[in-house]
Amino acid sequence: MDATLTTRLVFIMKRLYLSFSLVLMLACGANTPESNTQQVVKNAPDAASQAALPQISDDLVANIMQSIPSPIETSFLIKGIGAPYNVSNLNDHNLVTNYNTNYSQALNLGVYSTDLGFANLYDKNQDVLNYLNAVKKLADNLGIGQYFDYKTIKELASSSGNVEQLLQLTQQNLEKIHNHLNEQKRESLTILILTGGWVEALYLTTLVNQKANNKELRDRIGEQKIALEQILTILDVYKTKPNFATLIADLKELNKIYSKVQIKTTVGKPTQKVVNGEIITEDNTVSTIIIDDADVQAITSMVKSIRNKIIKS
Amino acid sequence: MSEEILKALTQLFAIISKQDTGVSEAERNFIISFYQQDLDSETMAEYLALYDKYAEYGIDDDSEEGDTKVERKKRVTRVNEAVRVLSLCRRINKTLTQKQKVIVLFKLLEMVGSNRSFTAQRMEIIQTVASVFNIPKEEYKLMESYAIQEHSSALDSEDILIFDDEPPTEGSKRRYIDSGKLDGEIIFIRVRSVDLYFIKYTGHDEIYLNGQLIKRNSIILFSNGSIIKTPKGAPLYYSDLVSKYTADTVRNNISFNVDSVWFKFPNGTIGLRNINISEGAGKLIGIMGASGAGKTTLLNVMAGLETPYKGKVTINGFNIHDPVERKNIEGVIGYVSQDDLLIEELTVFQNLFYNAKLCFRDLSDEEITQKVVSILESLGLDRIMHLKVGSPLNKKISGGQRKRLNIALELIREPGILFLDEPTSGLSSRDSENVIDLLKELSLKGKLVFAVIHQPSSDIYKMFDKMYILDTGGYPAFYGNPVEAVTYFKKATRQVGSERGQCMTCGNVNPEQIFNIIEARVVDEYGEFTNKRKITPEEWNEMYQANFKIERVEEVREKPPKTLHIPSKLKQTIIFTTRDAIAKISNRQYLTVNLIEAPALALLMSLVIRYKDSLGKGEYVFRYNDNIPAYILICIIIALFMGLTVSAEEIISDRKILKRESFLNLSRTSYLFSKLIILFSLSAIQTLSFVVIGNLVLGISEQYLTYWLVLFSVSCFANVLGLNISSAFNNAVTVYVLIPLLLIPQMILSGGIFSFDKLNNAIASKGKTPLITDIWASRWAYEAICVEQFKSNPYERMFYEIDQKESAANYKTSFWLPKIDELLVAASDLTDSRIASEQEQRKNNLAIAAAELKKDKMPVPGKQEAIELLDAASFNEESLEKIRLHTRQLNILYGQIQARMADARDSIIMVFEEQARKSGSAITINQLKDLYHNDNLADFVKNENVLDKTFIENNKIIQNTDPVFTLPEPEHLLDYRTHFFAPFKHFGGNLISTYYFNLIVIWLMTVLLYIALYFEWLRKLIKLFDKLEFAKR
Repeated sequence: MDATLTTRLVFIMKRLYLSFSLVLMLACGANTPESNTQQVVKNAPDAASQAALPQISDDLVANIMQSIPSPIETSFLIKGIGAPYNVSNLNDHNLVTNYNTNYSQALNLGVYSTDLGFANLYDKNQDVLNYLNAVKKLADNLGIGQYFDYKTIKELASSSGNVEQLLQLTQQNLEKIHNHLNEQKRESLTILILTGGWVEALYLTTLVNQKANNKELRDRIGEQKIALEQILTILDVYKTKPNFATLIADLKELNKIYSKVQIKTTVGKPTQKVVNGEIITEDNTVSTIIIDDADVQAITSMVKSIRNKIIKS
Repeated sequence: MSEEILKALTQLFAIISKQDTGVSEAERNFIISFYQQDLDSETMAEYLALYDKYAEYGIDDDSEEGDTKVERKKRVTRVNEAVRVLSLCRRINKTLTQKQKVIVLFKLLEMVGSNRSFTAQRMEIIQTVASVFNIPKEEYKLMESYAIQEHSSALDSEDILIFDDEPPTEGSKRRYIDSGKLDGEIIFIRVRSVDLYFIKYTGHDEIYLNGQLIKRNSIILFSNGSIIKTPKGAPLYYSDLVSKYTADTVRNNISFNVDSVWFKFPNGTIGLRNINISEGAGKLIGIMGASGAGKTTLLNVMAGLETPYKGKVTINGFNIHDPVERKNIEGVIGYVSQDDLLIEELTVFQNLFYNAKLCFRDLSDEEITQKVVSILESLGLDRIMHLKVGSPLNKKISGGQRKRLNIALELIREPGILFLDEPTSGLSSRDSENVIDLLKELSLKGKLVFAVIHQPSSDIYKMFDKMYILDTGGYPAFYGNPVEAVTYFKKATRQVGSERGQCMTCGNVNPEQIFNIIEARVVDEYGEFTNKRKITPEEWNEMYQANFKIERVEEVREKPPKTLHIPSKLKQTIIFTTRDAIAKISNRQYLTVNLIEAPALALLMSLVIRYKDSLGKGEYVFRYNDNIPAYILICIIIALFMGLTVSAEEIISDRKILKRESFLNLSRTSYLFSKLIILFSLSAIQTLSFVVIGNLVLGISEQYLTYWLVLFSVSCFANVLGLNISSAFNNAVTVYVLIPLLLIPQMILSGGIFSFDKLNNAIASKGKTPLITDIWASRWAYEAICVEQFKSNPYERMFYEIDQKESAANYKTSFWLPKIDELLVAASDLTDSRIASEQEQRKNNLAIAAAELKKDKMPVPGKQEAIELLDAASFNEESLEKIRLHTRQLNILYGQIQARMADARDSIIMVFEEQARKSGSAITINQLKDLYHNDNLADFVKNENVLDKTFIENNKIIQNTDPVFTLPEPEHLLDYRTHFFAPFKHFGGNLISTYYFNLIVIWLMTVLLYIALYFEWLRKLIKLFDKLEFAKR
């Protein structure tokens, strides 16, 4: 291969991972936690028991899916406080071929997606390539590889002005994946992907927090109480499926620790501002998280053990 | 002669000579002259002293005193001496051959005869010696009287021959040869038991034996090829003598006729013009001519190697060029070409032995050994019997010995007619004489021998019974007695002394004279020779026509005697194989290189590509070695290469030997099978060592047989391919230049380097392996190993069926259904279009979708109705929605299969790990994967890296993903074609595992190549091209 071709390929790949990571990050949460609060309040906390029906409505799944916070935010946060990048904190991309069951493939697809986004944020090109490859492999194995439209992603990612369009496209793709799996009665996979991504993001936050002990990070860890409840609600539907029981048990264990965490929500009046000639509505609702050091410590070690189980499976 | 023997002999001489009268001066002189033959003066003195001591030479005999004491002492000594003689003889018995012992015995007799004191005591001792030497009594008696008698009249035996000017009296058993004027007589004796001839001359003329003066009354061995020359008479050749002795042995009944034979070369020039020859058995005929006169052509035509365009050659009335009639004369013709036809790696003995085995079905190995040894002895080759022949460059035996061995190869089967092309070329004059002498002997035994001869010496020239002289352009110029040839040509040119053919004093003939006369050129006014001949070939030919009337020998009307009994085809195969195997094994270099090549390459390659795992743990894991697909390809290329190189020269190097053996009418099948047996065995060993080492180093466990079977098959294929080119081309260099031409396409079209989907459109057929690749063994082999390695390793074995079903369902839901939808949407968009090409497009899309849906095997109600909706006339957006209901159903059904399969797969893993935990073997599924599954190979056979998972070709949606899971879709009963890496192949309504199917294909190709080899298709094709070339010119 000649030099120019190599450079071009690297360039293309770079573009690809950029867009790809965006795809996956978006897949894990297009909305901010704040905007979802009301919905969460509507369903939580006894929604889990209500949802434990043999049939679960598509809308419900979609709604819950959207309530899970995006790892991209976590990543921004971590980078924002100046924590250094350390690849050994992420899952080893070589392990990808070790995931043989659909269960572990889906979970780790989530894990790798988070890692991919994380590495991308830090511009670690080699790692991004590796995670991109891992994600692609797992997606292919799960039969959803076709939803990553490389050509279009490449085209859109090549010009930075297309972010809006890109977001739209990835949203569409996500819906397609979900619909596809849903139609085939394999929507449990979507849940596992989301769970995997969420666990990895939480894990990274706790890791960084251990060293930095940052208020923002602690809040972020505490906030996950809501997401965890959402996840447990939906996972419970599949508790009879092989492997799910252990995961549910572990997460319930985590939920016990989270029960000590309190989230207070102060609802404010929305205000309107004019920015660049457009009217923008701001939501002034504020949440306060009450969490003590012991809880953070307990969460940290629990999350670590859950995460290790996932990546070793 | 060893010291020990010489000592023993000295003592024996001494004991005999001291008897009775004691040592005489004559006897002592005889002893001295005996020593002189072998010893230098110093050692001679030593032995003479020894002789003197034992013989008590110079000690005065005091017996005159007549003392009884002395008498007694003498008696005691005599008893002691008798004991000593016996022990000496036994010692001699241990080392000397029977022939040597006969010579020793004659020496003893000769010594006693040197002063003619044949006393009873002496003779008694000699007789004792003879009996201890195991010489037959009758024979000894004859030997004794031969030594004692001074004239032949006292000897009356068939074994005595007189060479004299007067014949023996009537009724005598003695044989006789006229010597011309001679003083005294030359008496020959044949010692039957050892087949030796001795000579004794009783007269006073100067008689030369091989150029050495013969002493009167001494008894000398008359060895093979010896010549006796008397002052006045004709020389006597060894062969003449032998023929006289063997005159009464049975003669072959053969008539050989060449009738008006004309020969034309392929380019149209005439090579022979109106040749007529007629001969019976027992003749040695020479063929001479200027270079380019057509001597060898004539010989080839007569031997049946070339076909005349006019006239015929018959043996006992059977035309030798007629394919039917020639069956009657199988084995009658022997042909010794100018080339060396020896198998260089075999010993002299082995060369003859295996040749003989091919000729005599009925003889046991012992009998054949005997026959071989005796013929080697008769040709004087017995001493070098166990030497390797070697090549002319790497000489082990001399040129003369090689030539004689070549002749021996023909002689051993005793052909009735023998043709030799320049048997003396390149030989020393001594060797030449030996060879011609041998031919003479053969002719005297009743064979008909033709030999092309070039610049013979006078002696050789005279040994021929007749000479056939050809002039440039194939014109016959002379046919008759050799010596007369000189006179004929001298006379024709009116030379002085033309009636004398040979030198008056020395009896020499100068054969060169003949050609000087024939080719004499005109001299121009400056005295320089011009290019013009004084007498043209045509003129010589006219003279020939006028002067020579050929007397036809009486036509023998029976089948010629058959000495050849070739063994059955199976036996021939065994003989060929053994011979070849011995030759190969004895060639150290060849064997070492061939045996080490494979493991060395395997070790080199596997060590180089033993790629450390990317997990960074430092240990090697098979699963992560990215080089496995390339390794498989290189394995195959190496197997092909080794197979080709090992066989490419096989037939070329045998070609000369085959030419000789063509006279034996041996089976080509047997010959080729012997080649196959040897080459296939070699291939088996090579590929086995390759696979064992390569796979061991790379950790490809449990698949040794999978690899080996394919590599072995491919190597065998290459062997037969190599034999084909080897039999078609004339020299090794061409063949080796051809090897890349055969190998590189094997690499290009193996599927391992260039993807079959990305070949030139002219040859690629999308969705199926290109037809052009089907003729290359590498592609079948590569596919076989790749698919089998992926599919049947202990890891994938557990999941293959599930994976296959999952993959099929996934294809439907992920690619196939979306593609159909895409087609339909496009069609729906084009509904209102007025452009013809777009309408065409729309129609096409609908047709493809309909066909695809129809092909689908999932039982869904309403399928027929859905397909009917796809009619181009009525299709609209509404029908699109209706069809989507149907495709959605399909999507759900296939999705369910997918989910079910995924669950099944997961549960297999769980059960496996559960069992592993219980049994304590503690091998996890990933450890199993590490051992047997290769990630890169899996990607490769699953076509993971291709982006376009489907495409449309020939109005069909073609799957471009997971080829190793995709079953073929045969178009008809005999459709064997599939996509590359298909897990199964279709033929005749059955699905056959790709591995076995491909192996069968490789072997079918091998069989086809064998047939081509048997009928020499390639050779014939090349000949055809040559002819076309020629016609153009």
